[in-house]
Amino acid sequence: MSEVIVQIVASGLTIGAMYAVSTIGLSLVYGSLGMLNMAHGAILTFGGYIAYYIATTLGLPPLLGGLAAVAVGALLGLAVYIVAAQPLLRSRSFETSIFIATIGVGTVLENVMLKLFGAYPLPQPLAVGGDLEIGGVHIPYQNILILAISLLLMAAVALLLKRTRIGRAVRATAQNREAAQLMGVRVGTVYALVLALSGALAAISGIMISSLTTLSPTMGADPMLKAFIICVVAGLGNIYGAVVSALLLGLLEAIAQYVVGVRFGFATLLVLVIVVLIWRPYGLFGHRQVVRL
Amino acid sequence: MSRSWRRDLAVSIVLLAIAVAVPLLFKTRYIVTQATLFFIWATVVTQWNLVLGVGGIFSLAQMALFACGAYTAAMLGYYLAVPLWLGIPLGGAVTVLLSLLIGLACLRLRGPYVALLTLAIAQMIFIYIINDTDCFTNPPSGCMPLFGGVRGVTRFGELGFRELFGARFYVANYYLTLLLLVLAVLFSIVIVRGPMGLAFQALRDNPGYAVSRGISRFKYQLWLFGLSAFFTGLAGAVYATNFRAIGPDVFSLTLLLFLLSMIVVGGLGTIWGPLLGAALLMLADEGMKELSDYRNIGLGAILTAFVILLPRGLAGVSVAISREGRRMRHKAAPP
Repeated sequence: MSEVIVQIVASGLTIGAMYAVSTIGLSLVYGSLGMLNMAHGAILTFGGYIAYYIATTLGLPPLLGGLAAVAVGALLGLAVYIVAAQPLLRSRSFETSIFIATIGVGTVLENVMLKLFGAYPLPQPLAVGGDLEIGGVHIPYQNILILAISLLLMAAVALLLKRTRIGRAVRATAQNREAAQLMGVRVGTVYALVLALSGALAAISGIMISSLTTLSPTMGADPMLKAFIICVVAGLGNIYGAVVSALLLGLLEAIAQYVVGVRFGFATLLVLVIVVLIWRPYGLFGHRQVVRL
Repeated sequence: MSRSWRRDLAVSIVLLAIAVAVPLLFKTRYIVTQATLFFIWATVVTQWNLVLGVGGIFSLAQMALFACGAYTAAMLGYYLAVPLWLGIPLGGAVTVLLSLLIGLACLRLRGPYVALLTLAIAQMIFIYIINDTDCFTNPPSGCMPLFGGVRGVTRFGELGFRELFGARFYVANYYLTLLLLVLAVLFSIVIVRGPMGLAFQALRDNPGYAVSRGISRFKYQLWLFGLSAFFTGLAGAVYATNFRAIGPDVFSLTLLLFLLSMIVVGGLGTIWGPLLGAALLMLADEGMKELSDYRNIGLGAILTAFVILLPRGLAGVSVAISREGRRMRHKAAPP
């Protein structure tokens, strides 16, 4: 029994940490721009493919592939800002319009990948072999690596937001766009930066997710949906809540997969989320926003 | 008020006359069957537009509701041998119940939460259907899961058009879907121009005043979501009848995107815009069929371009042009 528990905790933490990385990006973007980036899943997949292209097709060192993926992810995030977010910022129905526009951008990206790399699943080269034995359970080094990288990234994002000038500008913009602008914050630059950062994080999580499964043009849809669910459960835009919820949902998913089987793990999770939202419509960590009419 | 009524009536009569004449003019089966499909998608899109454009409910569960109607009619026919003329309205009724459930769960939330939650619900139903491989019954044709699994449900009976009309049964299907669309459009006109449309307009223009006059957003949204689901479910059931099969492929995100593009291209919140958008996108899709690989890239680009460059859609453009024209005429002939 204790082996089962170790197994569930280990795989739950790995899944949760992976989700957390892609969720931070989404949550950061929602927190500062108030937009749901539906192209996030496609950017995530693109990161995985770039790493594959550099390391396998070109035969360059895998680490270089990872760096290139981060750079391309950041550029794609920037592209979403320039193509979709910037022209729509002044629109009255920004929330709806940007949602639809990024669905379009995501579809274009997804089908470009289909065209470039084909529909067949490919293996992710950025992975390590071997495993570690804890209490009679074998845990792959890859899972431990993923957990470590995720924790490092989360700490880095937290430091960036709390300790740097840029982080302060991001937080100020998130709190009140007009006030930040009046204080001399270049709001446009902040938005571009936030989307680029979110793209880079998405690319890293794309590499991590595909290292446990395989690469395919549509692989981003599932983690994106889960990242959104995590955001919703935490309360949209709440980054710390998102990290906690991601780890919690990762563990829950691992438990659900063990109890009701892999096939219905995700469905069980969704039922739970719907119940949570009926109980607390603004998420576990969210606060009811009082809107003056 | 009377002006817009008269215009709606005139547009409806002209369009209806053209639609009735199509099978008499074109003898090609392909044109008639594509037009049949157009009527079905147009029905879905007019109802989605009511929900999204008029009611402000960002529902992405519309295709799940469509599937609910289709699966209800098909499964009633397959398991209980319920005839389709009864199964189709029952499909609509069950869809209303499902939509009320979804509405109760989602409509207290704000815009983006509603979109994500409805998408999640649709995905959950889809995942459940394709992952359920336990045999519910074991007919000679092989294992049959409760919802038909990946293969879907077939052999659930017919409306009897084949016996009645022989080889030209598809023309009967054409008129059936046309009738469905006419009813759906009439319903949407009644909603937009009636008290419910006024309530939503009030909530949009001055939410504070509207709420203080006792207009409850939640109540009206739930009503609208439930009522429009009836036609979405009917459309699903008629779709299943027309193709004599229903499978989980109606949940595909590409289809959802295709239909959403129709509304956005035509004009969100207008009565005729979604119909125009549906017609244009089906024609564009027909044109892009040769470039199958680039079809989705084109679709995504069209959607993005319209949201950013023409947020009011083609209907919005035509309104702006006619208003401009009227102004010019006033200038040209001073009183």
